[in-house]
Amino acid sequence: MNKQADDFFKADAMKADLIKDYQELARQSWETFAAQMQKQFGTAGAEGFSRSSSAKNSSANVTVDHALAGLKSYADWLQGAAASVSTPQSDWRQQMQQLFGGASQPFSHGFGGTDSSGAKAFVEQWQAWLNSNQKTGASGAQPQEQGSTTGFGFGHEQHAQHQALADAIAQHLEASQRYQVLMQRSNAQAIEKMQAKLSKLAKPGQQIESLKVLYDLWVDCAEEAYAETALSEEFREAYGEMVNTQIRVRELQQEQTEYICQQLGIPTRSDVSSLGERLQSLRREVRNSKTSSAASHAEEIEALRRDVAALKEQLLASKASRSVVRKSHAAKAAVAKAPRSAVKKSVTKASSAKSPKTAAKKTAASTSREKPAALAKTRKRK
Amino acid sequence: MVPHSPFRMDPAKIMDEVSAFQRKLASGMGQLRGARQPGYANTPRELVYSEDKLKVWHFKGEKKPTSKTPLLIAYALVNTVWMTDLQADRSMVRNLLEQGEDVYLIDWGYPDAVDRWLTLDDYINGYLDRCVDAVLQRCKLDAIDLLGICQGGVFSLCYTALHPHKIRNLITMVTPVDFQTPDNMLSHWARLLDVDRFVDTVGNIPAALMNYVYLSLKPVRLNQQKYVGLVDILDSPIELENFLRMERWIFDSPDQAGEAFREFIKKFYQDNGLVNDSLEIGGRRVHLGAIKHPVLNIFAEQDHLVPPDASRAMGRHLGTKDYTQLAFKGGHIGIYVSGRAQREVPPAIHQWLRARD
Repeated sequence: MNKQADDFFKADAMKADLIKDYQELARQSWETFAAQMQKQFGTAGAEGFSRSSSAKNSSANVTVDHALAGLKSYADWLQGAAASVSTPQSDWRQQMQQLFGGASQPFSHGFGGTDSSGAKAFVEQWQAWLNSNQKTGASGAQPQEQGSTTGFGFGHEQHAQHQALADAIAQHLEASQRYQVLMQRSNAQAIEKMQAKLSKLAKPGQQIESLKVLYDLWVDCAEEAYAETALSEEFREAYGEMVNTQIRVRELQQEQTEYICQQLGIPTRSDVSSLGERLQSLRREVRNSKTSSAASHAEEIEALRRDVAALKEQLLASKASRSVVRKSHAAKAAVAKAPRSAVKKSVTKASSAKSPKTAAKKTAASTSREKPAALAKTRKRK
Repeated sequence: MVPHSPFRMDPAKIMDEVSAFQRKLASGMGQLRGARQPGYANTPRELVYSEDKLKVWHFKGEKKPTSKTPLLIAYALVNTVWMTDLQADRSMVRNLLEQGEDVYLIDWGYPDAVDRWLTLDDYINGYLDRCVDAVLQRCKLDAIDLLGICQGGVFSLCYTALHPHKIRNLITMVTPVDFQTPDNMLSHWARLLDVDRFVDTVGNIPAALMNYVYLSLKPVRLNQQKYVGLVDILDSPIELENFLRMERWIFDSPDQAGEAFREFIKKFYQDNGLVNDSLEIGGRRVHLGAIKHPVLNIFAEQDHLVPPDASRAMGRHLGTKDYTQLAFKGGHIGIYVSGRAQREVPPAIHQWLRARD
């Protein structure tokens, strides 16, 4: 044992007793804390995300759930670590293994639910389902190799369903185990990373003096190792397989539920889903027809605006032509009274004014041709 | 030979450390017990449009907007209004209003079994389009500014490509475009997911499941270390309130409409449709090259949900010549709610818009 380690581990018997007493106190303190929290907020337990999220849940309640779960495993680790560091050890690497490689490692809660405990709970749930179904008359299905069963006769279909569910559960267990192996590997890599980092901190002034600092360093290493694992091809396959096999179990369970419901004349999930699909299709149709009807109204209004504009133009043109005619009559009357030179000028003006009159007539004619067509279009849309 | 020990732990000091932790925990128990459910910023707002479970809110600032063009915000379907309006001093909408923006926001609501068949077409060409129309009609304009956040940013990109004439300027925040960058853990996990069987079996995707997956991205940090840190702030009522508010927001998520989820996983995570130019929404091709609008793309450098490279890819695929990229020093959550984000992000958005208003 080197000198520093020797100094560190020179804890006398009195200190060891104190630590034991302290551990007991800490345990009691934790249990009291957890009990009071649960009493106060009515939390069902620290584990799990099974509760469906809803705005109705109070944040304090949700936070206490999560905090309790996280703090419990940290407090356990803290107690173990406090005891460990008070016990003389010749090799710090072995001590590190004890601190982070055992059951009390702080990693355990971090992966709660994604690791074997989550998988185990899931499988237990479906196994219970399978067992309850078997009790109700189905034959005892056990996982079998694919294609190994043949059957016929009354009840064969139901038996096949049970067999499929048993096989699916077995496949999911296998997939979960494969996933679990990767998680364990990730944990081992985290310890390696931690050792590598710690070995660089042996110089005085750099050494770890607090459990919290040690814990934070561990979290960094654990996350780093996890990220490397989680981004590997092997993990992608294992993760996909674990989720897909789990869903397959659920799918088969739903099929069995539907079968039972159909026998009892109870509406099934498929029925509800089918209604939902039909409803959404109708909602879409209604929306589209509203949108297209609004668009067609807009077009109609636009067409009417064009008609009004054309009529206005027509009106202005006819007003202009009438005023020209009036002027022309006035000029003729003036010619009769005026001297010859003046008549010449007036006649020239009148003849040049004839062209706008013709143009106005042409405009009126063309507008009257367009107008019925536009109106007809509008009516047709109605 | 055993190397020198990196530990220098005095048992007495360790005892002090552990007992201090327990003391904080015990005394903090009272604080946590007495903690009320913290409220959100709840910036004054007016309902201007609603349809099914969706609402469009118009936020009211203390002063009149100086911007001529309204800004419509679309966040991700997994989120809620509060992500942009968490608390008075951490509210993106409040800061945008103070800058002079005229802010509207789409509140997607909480889908239930009736909404299980909503597709991406329903969301993008249906809901989002009608929300844009509602703002256009209200403001008597031909085009508005659109700000999409995360999945809302993906929707905004698709929408702008499909309805270019209705958008004037586009802003995206923490928005993935390349869904298959090597560091994208979510994408990595989703690649081999049998999403058809998943949705057919589960229907709507429960929010608890989504949250669980997000926590699994950094399991020890998010499930444990965060709560170990909570012990240090249990004696600070303000910090505790902020923590509880954040927790309330994070775990208060809507379920995901099954069909839209199926499409999103397939078209974006599995097929990487935006980058491969193979994306179709409602039978219409979505081509990012069709976006000729000014685009401001803001991403977070430490984003563990949308890696920066997933977002940076946008610049390579847009058709616009007016593209600005802004890297924020923070994470996916911090970009909306951190103090730094409040100081940096809304002013940057406003200045960029002002130059193009």
